[in-house]
Amino acid sequence: MSQVHLDSELPVKKVHIRKNIRLTKFKDDCKRFIRTQKIGLVSILFIFLVVLVAILAPMIAPFDPVDQNREAFLAAPNAQHVMGTDDLGRDVFSRIVYGSRISLLVGFATVIISIIIGILIGMVSGYFGGIVDMVIQRIMDAIMAIPALILALFIAALLGPAIQNVIIALVIIEIPRFARIVRGEMMRIRETNFVEASRSVGANALRIIMRHGLPNMMAPIIVMASLAFGQTIIAEASLSFLGIGTPPPNPSWGLMLSNASRYMESAPWLVIFPGLALSLLVLAFNLLGDALRDFLDPKLSS
Amino acid sequence: MAEYIIRRLIYGVIVLFIMVTFIFVVMRAVPGDVVTLQLADSGASEEQIEALEAELGLDKSIPAQLGDWIVGAVQGDLGMSLWSGQPVTEVITERLPVTLQLAIMSIILAILIGIPIGVISAVKHNTFIDHFLRITSVGGLSIPNFWLGLILLTVLALVLNWIPPLGYQSFLENPIVNFQQMILPAICLAITLSASIVRMTRSAVLEVLHSEFIRTVRSKGAKERVVIYKHALRNSLVSVITLIGLQVGYLLGGTVVLESIFSLPGLGSLIFETVSSRDYPVVQAAVLIFGAMFLLVNLIVDVMYGWVDPRIRNS
Repeated sequence: MSQVHLDSELPVKKVHIRKNIRLTKFKDDCKRFIRTQKIGLVSILFIFLVVLVAILAPMIAPFDPVDQNREAFLAAPNAQHVMGTDDLGRDVFSRIVYGSRISLLVGFATVIISIIIGILIGMVSGYFGGIVDMVIQRIMDAIMAIPALILALFIAALLGPAIQNVIIALVIIEIPRFARIVRGEMMRIRETNFVEASRSVGANALRIIMRHGLPNMMAPIIVMASLAFGQTIIAEASLSFLGIGTPPPNPSWGLMLSNASRYMESAPWLVIFPGLALSLLVLAFNLLGDALRDFLDPKLSS
Repeated sequence: MAEYIIRRLIYGVIVLFIMVTFIFVVMRAVPGDVVTLQLADSGASEEQIEALEAELGLDKSIPAQLGDWIVGAVQGDLGMSLWSGQPVTEVITERLPVTLQLAIMSIILAILIGIPIGVISAVKHNTFIDHFLRITSVGGLSIPNFWLGLILLTVLALVLNWIPPLGYQSFLENPIVNFQQMILPAICLAITLSASIVRMTRSAVLEVLHSEFIRTVRSKGAKERVVIYKHALRNSLVSVITLIGLQVGYLLGGTVVLESIFSLPGLGSLIFETVSSRDYPVVQAAVLIFGAMFLLVNLIVDVMYGWVDPRIRNS
C-alpha cells in the first residue's frame, strides 16, 4: 500500500524511489544467492574465469594457436608444451585457450538472439491466443519434433562450414524452446488481476506486455538461458566434430577432438584436454542453471 | 481413449506436414543446388542444365514439387535418390534398423542404470551418497557423448588392446560382432539419458515419499522395501516415462555423432552424407523419419500416461 501512497502524494519522486527499491532488491537477491547457492557461486566464478581467459587469450597463450612447429609433431606434454602438441606441431594449451573464444561466442550469440526472437514470438502467441497462437504453435511443434542435433546438422550442412552458420542453425533450434516458456508465462499472466486492472485503466497491449509480461517471466527465461548455453556449446562442438561447424584452422574444441580421433592411440592427450575443457564449461552452466532454478523457483526444488 | 488417439494422430500428421514443408523450402532456398553440383566439372550448357532439371523434376515450382512429393509419400513412394537413382524407401530401410537398434539399446541401458540410482539417491536423501550421486548425474549430463566415445575407444585400445570389429554387420547376420560394434555407442548415449533419469526419478520418488498415502502404507506396517518399490517407485514412473519421451529427441540427435565415430551406417550418417550433395528426396525422407519417430514415441508415452493414471485418461 505504501507504494500507492507514494505514487499519489509525491509524483515527482516516483521514478527515483522505484529505481532505488529495485536496486536494493537486486542487491539483496545477490547477497541471498551468494549465501544459499554455494555451487552456483562457484559455477559463476568459473564461467567468469573462462570469460577472462577468452578475453586475455593473447596474453595467456604461450604460442600462436595456428602456428605450426615442425620440430614438435605430436609431442607429449612437457615443460614447453604443457598439454603437448598436435599433428601439425601446434600447442594444444594455446589452442584450448583460444578455443574458449569460439565456444563462448557461439553460446552467447545463440542464447541472446534466440531469447529476443523467442520472446517476440512467445509474447505474440500468448497474448493474442486464438488462431495466431495455434498457427505459431504448430510451426514451433514441427521444429521441435525434429531432434535438435539432426536439425542443426541439416541447416549447418546446407549453409556450409562457418561460425555464423553454426549460430543460425543453433538459433533456429533454441527459438521454440524460449517461445514456449514465454507463451506459457504470458497466458498465465494475462489472466492475473493486475493485468486485468491495467487493462481496465486503458493500457494497450504493448504496455501490458512490456510493463507486466516481461518482468514477470524473467526467472524461467534466465534458468532456461543457462541450460541452453550449455546445450549450445555441446552442439557447436558436435557440429565442428562432424566437420560442418567451425572451419579449420580455427581452434574450436570440437574440431580439435575430431582431429584427435585419428591419433587416439599415439597421442591420447589430444583427446583428453579439449574434451575436459568442454565438459567443465558445460558443467558450470548446468550447475548454474540448477542453482538459479532452486533460487528463483523454490517450488521446483525438493 | 480411441478418440484421444485419433486426435493425436491428426495432430501428428499436421506437424509432419509443416515439418516437410519447412525442410522442402529451406533446402531449395539455400544457395547451391543438385543440378549445379552434378554438372560442376563438365562445363554444361544452359540446355543441358535445363534438361537435367526437367529429368529430375526440379523445373517445376516449389509448391508443385511439394505437392508431387506428398502425393507420392501418401502412396508409400518417397522418390528416388537424385545421385544413385536408388528408391528412397530402400535406402531408408537399409539405414533405419541401425539407428533404431542403437536407440533402443541406449534406452534400455539408461533405464537399467538410471532408475536404481535415482531410487537410492531419493531414499538416502541429503546424505553423502545422495550428494555424490547428484553431482555425478549433473556431470553425466555435461559430458559430450562423442567425447565419451573417444575416451572409451582410447582406453580400450591402450589398456586392453581391443577395438570394435571393423565393417558393420547387422544383428541378423552376426549377433556377436553386431553387439561388439553397438555396445560402446549405446553406452555413450545411455550415460547422458540415464543422468536425466536419475534426476527425475530422485525428485519424483521424493515427492511421492512425502505424500499422505505413503504414510498410510507405512502405518499399516509394510516393509520399507514394499513402500519404496511397490508404492513410491510405481507412482513416480509416470513422470519418468514422460521424461524419456521428451529426451528421445536428444537421444536420436546423439546417434548422428556416435554413428560417425563408430562408423555405423545409420540414418543420422545418411543425412550427414546426403545433405551436402543436395540429394533432396533422401534428406527429406530421413529428417521426416526422425520427426515421425519422435512424435510416435511421445504418442506412445501419452497413451501409457493415460493408461497408468485414470485421472488423465478421463480429462
